[in-house]
Amino acid sequence: MIELLTSILILTGALFTFIGALGLVRLKDFYCRLHGPTKATTLGVGSLLLASSLWFSTRGTGLSLHELLVTLFLFITAPVSAHLLAKAALHLRLKSLAPAPESETSGT
Amino acid sequence: MLSIAIPIAFALVGTAFTLTLWRLLIGPSVPDRILALDTLAVNAIALLVLFGIAQDSAVYFEAAILIALMGFVGTVALCKYLLRGDIIE
Amino acid sequence: MNLLLCVITPFLGAALVAAVARLGTWQAAAAAAGVTLAAGAWLAPLVGGTFQGTTLIERYTWMPREGLDLTFRLDGFGLLFALMILGIGLLVILYARWYFSPQDRLGRFYTGMMLFMGSMLGVVLSENLIQLLIFWELTSLSSFLLISYWQQRTEARQGARMALTVTGMGGLALLGGILLLGQITGSYDLSVVLAAGDQVRAHPLYLPTLLLILLGAFTKSAQFPFHFWLPNAMAAPTPVSAYLHSATMVKAGVFLLARLFPTLSGTPEWTWIVSLTGLTTLLIGAVFALFKHDLKGLLAYSTISHLGLITLLFGLGTPLAALAGVFHIINHATFKASLFMAAGIIDHETGTRDMRRINGMWGVMPYTATLAMVAAAAMAGVPLFNGFLSKEMFFTETLGTVAQLRFGWLLPLTAIVAGIFAVAYSLRFIHDVFFNGAPIDLPRTPHEPSRWMRLPVEVLVALCLLVGMLPALTVEPLLAIAARGVLQGPLPPHSIAIWHGFTPALWMSLIALTGGVLVYEGRRPLFALAARLEGRLEARRPYDWLVAGVFGVARWVTVRLDLASLQRMLFLFVLSALALGMAGFWSAPMPLTGAGPLLPFDPVSLLVALGLAACTASVVVLHRSRLIALILLGAVGLIVSLIFAKFSAPDLALTQLSVEVVTIVLLLLALYFLPQSTPAESSRPRQVRDLLLALAAGGGNAALAWAVLTRPAESIADWFLTHSLPGGGGANVVNVILVDFRGFDTLGEITVLALAGLGIYAMLDGLRLPAPAADAQGRAWDPDAHPLIMASLVRLLLPLALLVAVYILLRGHQLPGGGFIAGLVTAVALIMQYLANGVAWTRARLPANLHPLIAAGLLIATMTGLGSLALGYPFLTSSFVHFHWALVGDFELASAMAFDLGVYLVVVGATLLILIHLGLVHDLSRPPAEEPR
Repeated sequence: MIELLTSILILTGALFTFIGALGLVRLKDFYCRLHGPTKATTLGVGSLLLASSLWFSTRGTGLSLHELLVTLFLFITAPVSAHLLAKAALHLRLKSLAPAPESETSGT
Repeated sequence: MLSIAIPIAFALVGTAFTLTLWRLLIGPSVPDRILALDTLAVNAIALLVLFGIAQDSAVYFEAAILIALMGFVGTVALCKYLLRGDIIE
Repeated sequence: MNLLLCVITPFLGAALVAAVARLGTWQAAAAAAGVTLAAGAWLAPLVGGTFQGTTLIERYTWMPREGLDLTFRLDGFGLLFALMILGIGLLVILYARWYFSPQDRLGRFYTGMMLFMGSMLGVVLSENLIQLLIFWELTSLSSFLLISYWQQRTEARQGARMALTVTGMGGLALLGGILLLGQITGSYDLSVVLAAGDQVRAHPLYLPTLLLILLGAFTKSAQFPFHFWLPNAMAAPTPVSAYLHSATMVKAGVFLLARLFPTLSGTPEWTWIVSLTGLTTLLIGAVFALFKHDLKGLLAYSTISHLGLITLLFGLGTPLAALAGVFHIINHATFKASLFMAAGIIDHETGTRDMRRINGMWGVMPYTATLAMVAAAAMAGVPLFNGFLSKEMFFTETLGTVAQLRFGWLLPLTAIVAGIFAVAYSLRFIHDVFFNGAPIDLPRTPHEPSRWMRLPVEVLVALCLLVGMLPALTVEPLLAIAARGVLQGPLPPHSIAIWHGFTPALWMSLIALTGGVLVYEGRRPLFALAARLEGRLEARRPYDWLVAGVFGVARWVTVRLDLASLQRMLFLFVLSALALGMAGFWSAPMPLTGAGPLLPFDPVSLLVALGLAACTASVVVLHRSRLIALILLGAVGLIVSLIFAKFSAPDLALTQLSVEVVTIVLLLLALYFLPQSTPAESSRPRQVRDLLLALAAGGGNAALAWAVLTRPAESIADWFLTHSLPGGGGANVVNVILVDFRGFDTLGEITVLALAGLGIYAMLDGLRLPAPAADAQGRAWDPDAHPLIMASLVRLLLPLALLVAVYILLRGHQLPGGGFIAGLVTAVALIMQYLANGVAWTRARLPANLHPLIAAGLLIATMTGLGSLALGYPFLTSSFVHFHWALVGDFELASAMAFDLGVYLVVVGATLLILIHLGLVHDLSRPPAEEPR
């Protein structure tokens, strides 16, 4: 039962990690590419960490909570990284497929 | 059960690792590369966690925690450099 | 215990004096005097025993396997020197308080003087010869600091460097001599060496030993032809000259001659070399002294002459001559120190030392004049003053050789000539300065100095008089035990008295006195002759030539080896490494793959390794854009740490990760001031050449790694693995090696780290650099210095990151982690706050001064090490106890963990200090129009 649950979590996590990386490579502009890793990959690793926590907690050596610390870490930092990267990209005026929301684009 | 899931997961995460590396190498913009480096760190955590489960060893967790911390600080420092030039002000 | 404490007290006192000197000059002088008295107090209870003739030896085990113990020895001769060092030191401390002007930093002088005093006491109280040599070298170093006290003056720096070069070379020769002596006698203990005189003298290596030791003694005591450093050292402040160049440092050479007298003397070689050197020095010093117009120059050459006299006495080799030598050491110290002090007073009051300008001082400072006259009379050897007594003994001894040697009559003759010149220059010192018409164009208006400045001179002059008139009551007991210490046997029958009847020696004294007056009367033609020869007879000419030659050779070699191009140096370096490696491969043909088992293959590792290679290659291709290269290097570091983690080196992985991010932050800080891209400089053929070389060298390295890793290896790792838990109380071998087995290395490393941090801080302090107002593409910087999302969320991370750091620190002894990694993690956690919230915000919440943190870390680490010393174990032995704590379970508490805490604090402090101050350079450099909002 535990093994099945762990396996499902592992596969889900790996799949999301893969999808995140796929998005990073395949999507057309930076603003799109930002979505892949920050959402899918974070979720994927979260899922893997959950799997690990579950697996080691049921091995008879007590609860394994390190993973939760890593998860907490990632979930706090991911939005900050994404925000800063978006800010940097806007600052550098990277080309965007979608029209920029503000009037600044009128010139292009 | 696990013996099937883990090789598949390794294959998926390994591919993800390779794809991310590809993005890191081709760019094209600097934020792309920073994003790829950040993602590479997260993928590395995923690899370490999988190693941990596969080998039934808890010895990889400290490295995972540090990668999370250090990868983040690196990303913040690099972005701040792009935005402000001056990272400690 | 007392002797050890006596020697150590001045060294510890140096730190105390340096600290107290901030309060004021009086406090500094009082502290220095207090330290001197304390050192004397340790000696005081031992004086009685020494006067009864016992030789006290204190031994502390130090490096028993190397035959090195910390051993001290007190006999009459050592006591005499210790008393001179402490007594004259005390007078000089008092004198210096008035000599230096308020602008001079007295603390530095007193600190240097305490260091010198300790070194000198170490020389005279050492039983082990190697230990003696260490203190001997310390006197050279500390005297360098003292001579160069006015470091802004060229001649002070030159004089100090010359003194250090000459005495340093002598020290090197002395080391050789002592090692030979140790080989011959089988021991470095003075007691053994002194008792093995016959064995040493009969040994085939006697002559080289003698020459090397004499080289050490002669350079230190400014004997011809090494005498030239002493006049040049007169650029030192006069208290330094009074202390070093009359009573102590230059006497170290004759001290050594006397100390090893029973072992080395009594052969024709000894007699000829030592007495001829002494004789030449005696004569040359006396003649040159007369023609020096500089007050201190005259005294310097006179010192050289008197040192020659003492050397000559020891060279004669008879017990009576040795006794006279010891006596003259005492007398010279008293009258020469007082004369230097008098010269300092005159210099201080008139503002010059040129005797052609200073005249007629009798009218201005009759009291000082009287004191100087007494001291100068003692120097000239006038009856009733102490110099007369030892000089008469000297004349007697020279007469004794007439019958023994061919040309023996030359000796008393030269002695008389030198005596004549000694009288003449003493007369000049008095007549030219205090009489001889009116002063010419003095920079200052002189008057009598302060009472306290005269007091040390008065004490010394009183000693000259007392010893001169009542020798038997004053100096006789001390002289007797000192001479017995030199001879290591019974004293020869002697009588020290003013009146022995009309002996030949008395006639010689009278001739010298009359002749001296006559020479001084006829000085004008002599001075004219000297002016014409000026500079031609300078012994520093060959020295300068020699030094210039050494520098020339060094430059020649450097110019030919150093191509001033990093690329070419690297090319040559890699090429020769490749050639050597290939030679190794070809000279011993062996299969590349060894017999060891191969690890199982797994695709993920291969993938990661390929990724590493791809990243590294990209760094090479893209290195012109520096920021991109930095990002790629970050990836390289990440992958390397993954590999470490995979192949069972978790500590290394953790360290690599932490160092990686600190490096990125550091390079980004530097990149702000640097061009963003590197221009292409190499031509295409050169790039191809470098590429081929790099591929060959890298391939060779890979082949070597392959060859090594496929062979079954036996290493010292097994020893560490088996001894880690029982010996060091920790299961994490890496950490136990760092804090226990190799704890001393780690202590050295964190000291270096702390010094590097402080050095960088000092260099960056107040630095301004031209800072770019916009990025490389000319865009203005983003106005938002600390975006709100980042600032607020990063605050949440601080407790989490610190928790991780503490966890890694505490478990480090048993599981991967430890002080170094935890320190880096903490530093990164704090740097994160500086990045996200700014310097002002973080400084308001954390102590901004990191120096105490570094100091505390070093202190804790050192104290832990000393703690094991207190418990009777060698330095840094760790001890541990096993605990059982309810709920938490079993764990070991090792003293090494306290040591690790010290490492942790130093790493945190130094890392933050460097990064933050590099960041602050940015703020100073930022154009004012673009203030951060």
